[in-house]
Amino acid sequence: MGTTTEINTDTIQSILKQNKKQIKLGLAMCAHCSLCAESCFLFVSHDNDPEYMPSYKFINSIGKLYKKKGKVSRQVLEDMRDLVFEKCALCTRCYCPFGIDIPALITLGRNVCRSQGLFREYDREW
Amino acid sequence: MIKAKSKPIEEIVDYITPYRDVLIVGCGGCVSVCLAGGQKEVNILQTELELLRDKTKTDGQFSGFTVERQCNEQYLGVLDDMVETADCVLSMACGAGVQLLAERYPNKPVFPAVNTIAIGVDLDVGLYEERCRACGECVLAYTAGICPVTRCAKGLFNGPCGGTNGDKCEISPDINCAWHEIYTRLKAQDRLEDILKIHPPMQWQNQIKRTIVQKGYEQRYHQE
Ligand code: SF4
Ligand code: SF4
Ligand code: SF4
Ligand code: SF4
Repeated sequence: MGTTTEINTDTIQSILKQNKKQIKLGLAMCAHCSLCAESCFLFVSHDNDPEYMPSYKFINSIGKLYKKKGKVSRQVLEDMRDLVFEKCALCTRCYCPFGIDIPALITLGRNVCRSQGLFREYDREW
Repeated sequence: MIKAKSKPIEEIVDYITPYRDVLIVGCGGCVSVCLAGGQKEVNILQTELELLRDKTKTDGQFSGFTVERQCNEQYLGVLDDMVETADCVLSMACGAGVQLLAERYPNKPVFPAVNTIAIGVDLDVGLYEERCRACGECVLAYTAGICPVTRCAKGLFNGPCGGTNGDKCEISPDINCAWHEIYTRLKAQDRLEDILKIHPPMQWQNQIKRTIVQKGYEQRYHQE
């Protein structure tokens, strides 16, 4: 991404505040049963790499932001961008037996990244 | 994926001129991939429109927001408040996304900012080519994986027309004849008998709005 290293913490906090209930509930309800893993086609197609587990993806994106009250460095957000954009297709197929809407939580992670100008760059030269 | 191209800026300006506050909505799906309507393109369009308004000294505000996918209601809720305060919406998604926004916000004018072109393949960054017109009766099995609906100017199903000019199509010496390619590939695979059978005319299904129900979901979505 670009040259800016600034983070607008207020914007992040306002997204967290608006969705507090959903995030808190998701984090509290996840029993780490890993049942969601098998329902993610990306997890399965990446040799069961734990970073592709739906629960891992929401806990380490919006969950992490929530725990840190939105105070994260640009680097942390850049890593998070890779997690929520590259490791999830938002196909909405993951299944949580406790009814956690995992894609909605990952979407919130993406919303935060987007609010800081971090998103998937399809014209990036690899 | 779906390929789109931005509309000429004059056309967009024409749509939004009667309105003050404009919300530009990008889509994180196909149009991000083809660089027509993702967050980056939302930012660019917003800047362009702001510059134009500065010049004409008209007031009103532009704002931009990109949802993950405009073709799924699940991702649209976040827009509700923003749409409420906007006077009109410019959607940078494909036609499906534009329509879903227009359905969700029936009291707001929703305008397309891109032209949806095709289902296509990525040749390079920013370079795409059409491959499919979603006819609903895919014939690629007997046409050696070459689509006659998309690639043959006449959409022929049973061999070339009389205008075939060597390996070129009669409409232009720059365009390959799809049926020549089909023949050549099938011959190389020793499958020419595939095109000797006469195929009935296409029951064009894409004249009405189609609904796609996957196998195994028929019961669930059974409609009278
Ligand atoms: S939404 Fe993301 S995490 Fe869930 S199944 Fe699809 S790719 Fe996996
Ligand atoms: S709204 Fe259109 S461009 Fe966006 S993801 Fe859906 S099909 Fe693709
Ligand atoms: S025949 Fe051509 S247009 Fe029809 S589904 Fe197949 S590729 Fe698409
Ligand atoms: S010349 Fe070939 S591609 Fe062109 S219309 Fe005739 S059959 Fe179709």
